[in-house]
Amino acid sequence: MPLDIPLKKFHVANGAKMVPFAGFNMPINYKQGIINEHKNVRKHSGIFDVSHMGQVLIETNYLHINNLERYIPLKLNNLRKNKSNYTFLLNENGGVVDDLIVSLIDINSKSFLYIVYNASRKNEDEKIFFKCAPKAEILHEKNCLFAIQGPESIEVLNNIIDLPSEMNFLDIEVLKYKKNSVIVSRSGYTGEDGFEISISTKHAEVFVKDLLENKNTMLCGLGSRDSLRLEAGLSLYGHELNENITPIEAGLSWALDKDRLNDSSLNGNKILSDQLHNKPLNKKIGLVSVNRSMLRDGMILFDTNKNNIGKITSGCFSPNLNKSIAIGYVNSNFNIENEIFCEIRNKMELVKKTSLPFVKKNYKKNGSKNE
Amino acid sequence: MGVKMSEKKYTKDHEWVSIDNDIATIGISNHAQESLGDIVFIELPSVGKSANAKDEICVVESVKAASDIYAPIDGEIVEVNNNLEGDAAIINQDAENTGWIFKMKVSNPSQYDELMTEDEYKNFLEQ
Repeated sequence: MPLDIPLKKFHVANGAKMVPFAGFNMPINYKQGIINEHKNVRKHSGIFDVSHMGQVLIETNYLHINNLERYIPLKLNNLRKNKSNYTFLLNENGGVVDDLIVSLIDINSKSFLYIVYNASRKNEDEKIFFKCAPKAEILHEKNCLFAIQGPESIEVLNNIIDLPSEMNFLDIEVLKYKKNSVIVSRSGYTGEDGFEISISTKHAEVFVKDLLENKNTMLCGLGSRDSLRLEAGLSLYGHELNENITPIEAGLSWALDKDRLNDSSLNGNKILSDQLHNKPLNKKIGLVSVNRSMLRDGMILFDTNKNNIGKITSGCFSPNLNKSIAIGYVNSNFNIENEIFCEIRNKMELVKKTSLPFVKKNYKKNGSKNE
Repeated sequence: MGVKMSEKKYTKDHEWVSIDNDIATIGISNHAQESLGDIVFIELPSVGKSANAKDEICVVESVKAASDIYAPIDGEIVEVNNNLEGDAAIINQDAENTGWIFKMKVSNPSQYDELMTEDEYKNFLEQ
C-alpha cells in the first residue's frame, strides 16, 4: 500500500487527483488540470507538495565527510555555507545511485549537511547515509517539503517569510515562519525562479493556506512538475538517471568536482575519469515531435536505415511549445545531424533533434529579491 | 419530429454509442475524459475501415498517457470528427456531444442492445 503524505486530506479537499508515485499517494493534478497548472507556474507561480522526498541532516565532522566522499563527487570540506549543490551518490562503477541536493547549513550553531533526495531511492540512499553517519537524522519524518515555483514566487513567499535582501539561486537559509524555524532554499526543479521550504508537519497546512492567500498562485501536482522539468531539460531519476548510467553519460559532468576524479577513494573514479577524456557510449539529446503524436518514455529511436540508435527516457506534451518533447539517449557514434525516427505504435515517425533546454531557464542570479 | 436518436449506451471500456437508423456515433464517456486529463492529440481512424467489436480503432493521447479506443460493435467507419484534429481538447469540454470521435455503419444491431444503459454504466463506475 502506498503511504500518505501528511497533508493528503487537505489536497483531496482541494480537488487533488491522487495517484501512486514512488511508494506514496501523490496529487498528480487538481481541478484545473496539468496544462493550466503548468502555464500558471511559467506566468505566475504554483505550489507543489513534495513531502514524499527524502530529507536528512548529517552533522559535519571529519568522519562523516570522509565516509560520504566515497559516494559524493564533491569536496565536502570545501562546501560554502548556506549554499546548495546538485550532486549524486555514486556506485562502484560510477553509476548514479541517486541525484541529490546537498547543502551546508547551521542549525542552533551546529553545522549540518542537509540532503534532499528522491522518494523512489529512500532505501538505497539511507543505507549509505546510515553507513556513513549512524546518527543521521531523517528529517522527512517530521518535516514536510514544499516548492513554490514561478516568477512571482518571491512575492508570494516574502509575504509570509521575511527573506534576506540578497538571496540567489542555490542560496539556502534557516529562517522563521511565525517563530518556527524553516529551511528555505532558492531552488526547485521547474526551470523557473522559486523556493523550496522544509517546515515542521505541525505548521504545514497553515503555511500552505497562507501561500494560497495570493490569488495568482495555485496548488500544482506532479503532472505539471514533470512537464515543467522536462521543458527545462532537467534529468529525472529512473528516466535519464539510473545505476547503469554515469553522470558523464547523462551530460551532467558539470556537477562533478573534476579533482575528485583523481581520488581513488571516490567510487568509480577511474571509469569517470576515462569517460571524461574519451567519448562515453551514449549521448543525451532533446527531441521534438514533427507531427502531433506524443513521444513517451521507452520509445525506440532509429536512423534512416532502421538501425536502432537509442531510446527516449522522458517524453511529454509541452504546453509552452504546444507539441511533444522528449529527452533520450543515442549512441555516440551516430551522426547527430542525420534524420532520427521514433517508433510510435508500429509506425516510424520523423522527430527533430534540438538542444536542451526546450524552454530557457529563469533562475535568479546575482540580484536582490526586489529586482 | 426530427431524426429519431436512440438512447445513449456505454461499454466497459468507457465509450458511448448512440444509434440513428443504422449509423452509430461513438465517443468516450465524460468519466473517461475526466480520468484521462488534458487530451492533446487524437489519431483518428480511416474512413472505410471495417472493425469488429473490441478491435482497437484509434488512440487518444492525454498529457498523462495514450489510451486505445475500441469499436463498441461490428461495422464500418463512415465518418470521423475532423474538428478533433486541430483541437482534441473538445473531448475534455464536451465528451458526450460535440466531442464525438467516429461514426460506424452498424452490421450487427443486436450488439447495441447488449451494451449498458446510462444507469447501468453509473452502477458499473461505482463498483
